[in-house]
Amino acid sequence: MNVKCPEWEEVNKNEYKGYWVYVELKNGKPSEHSLQLIGKARELADKLGTYVGALTFGGGKDEDLPRLLYSYGVDKMFIIKLRNVDKYTPIVYGKAIAFIVHKYRPDAILFPGAGRGRELAPYVAALLRTGITADCVDLDVDVSTGDLIQFKPTFGGNIIAEIRIPNRRPQIVTIRKNAFPTPDPHREGEAEVIVEEVELKDERLRQIDSRKVEIREERPLEASDIVIGVGRGVGGRDGLELISKLAELLNAAIGGTKRAVDAGLIPPERMIGETGKYVRPRLYIGIGISGALQHVVGILNARVIVAINTDENAPIFQFADYGIIGDYREVVKELIRLIAEKRKVVTGL
Amino acid sequence: MGLTIVVSVKAVVPYVNVIRLDPKTRSIIREGVPTMLNPADKVAVEFALKLKERFGGRVITLSMAPPIGKEALESLIGMGVDEAYLLSDRAFANADTLATSYVIANAVRRLIPKFDILIFGEESLDAATAHVPAQVAALLDIPYLYYVIDIKEIDMTSGKAVITRVINDEGVYETYEAKLPISISIHKHAVRPRDESLIRKIDAKLKGVVRIIDNSALNLNPGCIGAAGSPTVVTGLHEMKLPPRKRQLFKGNAREAAKWLFDNLIKEGVIDA
Repeated sequence: MNVKCPEWEEVNKNEYKGYWVYVELKNGKPSEHSLQLIGKARELADKLGTYVGALTFGGGKDEDLPRLLYSYGVDKMFIIKLRNVDKYTPIVYGKAIAFIVHKYRPDAILFPGAGRGRELAPYVAALLRTGITADCVDLDVDVSTGDLIQFKPTFGGNIIAEIRIPNRRPQIVTIRKNAFPTPDPHREGEAEVIVEEVELKDERLRQIDSRKVEIREERPLEASDIVIGVGRGVGGRDGLELISKLAELLNAAIGGTKRAVDAGLIPPERMIGETGKYVRPRLYIGIGISGALQHVVGILNARVIVAINTDENAPIFQFADYGIIGDYREVVKELIRLIAEKRKVVTGL
Repeated sequence: MGLTIVVSVKAVVPYVNVIRLDPKTRSIIREGVPTMLNPADKVAVEFALKLKERFGGRVITLSMAPPIGKEALESLIGMGVDEAYLLSDRAFANADTLATSYVIANAVRRLIPKFDILIFGEESLDAATAHVPAQVAALLDIPYLYYVIDIKEIDMTSGKAVITRVINDEGVYETYEAKLPISISIHKHAVRPRDESLIRKIDAKLKGVVRIIDNSALNLNPGCIGAAGSPTVVTGLHEMKLPPRKRQLFKGNAREAAKWLFDNLIKEGVIDA
């Protein structure tokens, strides 16, 4: 199609260089989610022969940030300092990012696809009249066109759509936590630091109060080494109690399928899969889960996958390293006994 | 006078398994596929109705959808919505989120120019991008906020509202003062949607309350809408690539099964002996 939207500024793709990551700072340190994106950006930038940029608000309290970010693969830090604005609002932050992007013309920007990243990225994309893809599970580059290839599961997860932004820049994506591994720091040196002071006031929205509520999550789903996933096949709450005992012994987090959420077995924020969270544990144990792809996309990055199900035709066995066909109650009880025996723990079973 | 509240809603396909993709256009085949109102949008409508109860005014819903989207809007009339617009035109089809937001932003600008609050659900059940509330705000150049759980007060004379939202993954509650108009998306669990009245719904159907707006009414440039106005392009569809798994199966006595699993997990080094 040759019709062009007259409201769009012309874009010359060749002017856009560099793969940027929006780095969220928590107490002056980059979030793990941001580091995962830096790892991927480094890989893609190397394929294209370009640099990796980190975009932050404020330098953070950590003086070593340029050194730290460099070790993970960042070449240049772009630090936005807002004049006369001390508190976050999406419109001021978003406009500041759009301003910096306009000046330095990065080829692509990767945003953490959670919380504020999810709020900011589409605003920035729309201000720049460019494309944005949410929740990519993988990224690659087409070296011949310079396009970022975005892979995103669609409609049930069995199909991965390949999406590109062929004519607009920058290419903006959001990435779910744990879609990529956290890279190891592997370089010695210091990122170049570019500080941009931005004067942007928008009195139409002011943050007047902020309260942190301590959510004490003993075993956060996205950060646990062992995750137990439950499905509708678990039955009722009594089954869940048994599974909780196993989880306690293994120091595992419990999550589950959409059907488990619908059945009231687990809260919605514990849902794993396409519309829930992605996990990357060293061990995932799926109990009473049939193995719908919507769920499976969220566990693909587990190192070892175990499935326990009475139905030997359950698709979950196709995705598992170790499958047990049988009643999970019996198997879990035995498993608890075995682990407790080894560790000399009294379980009350 | 009261508030003019606009809620933008979307009909979604309830069961993902019925979705098929047209191999030629690479877009979703929507014909013959049942739809329902996006659950998060019901929460948004409830939020709007509660605001109307407190501050007076009217609630107007709009939806960009094929003609079948009319039904979802009728059910919202059943919940107590006052007016509804269905933005429906073949020229709007195959839009990505920017091209969708362009239609919604311009429809609001033309049809309801004096709106106070533009409300969206947190995200859709099908695509779940959560893009549109921010994109529409950018196109209309109005402030916006995600994850809103409450509007504590609205001063009708100054047009200022005090809005609270929660960012779940940070465990942070934030309160903002906003000058209306504003675009907000409502946290999934902010309020519980009321039931719809069947009588009002049937009434809406009979009286043709839902007004259908096509592009002859909006007169949007074809380059800014539909596929042409979409910066993102689906360039391929792939079967999901699955990393190889061992796929070892054990069937039999639970005690032996547990032992077999336990030994393998120790061997893999994923649990401590």
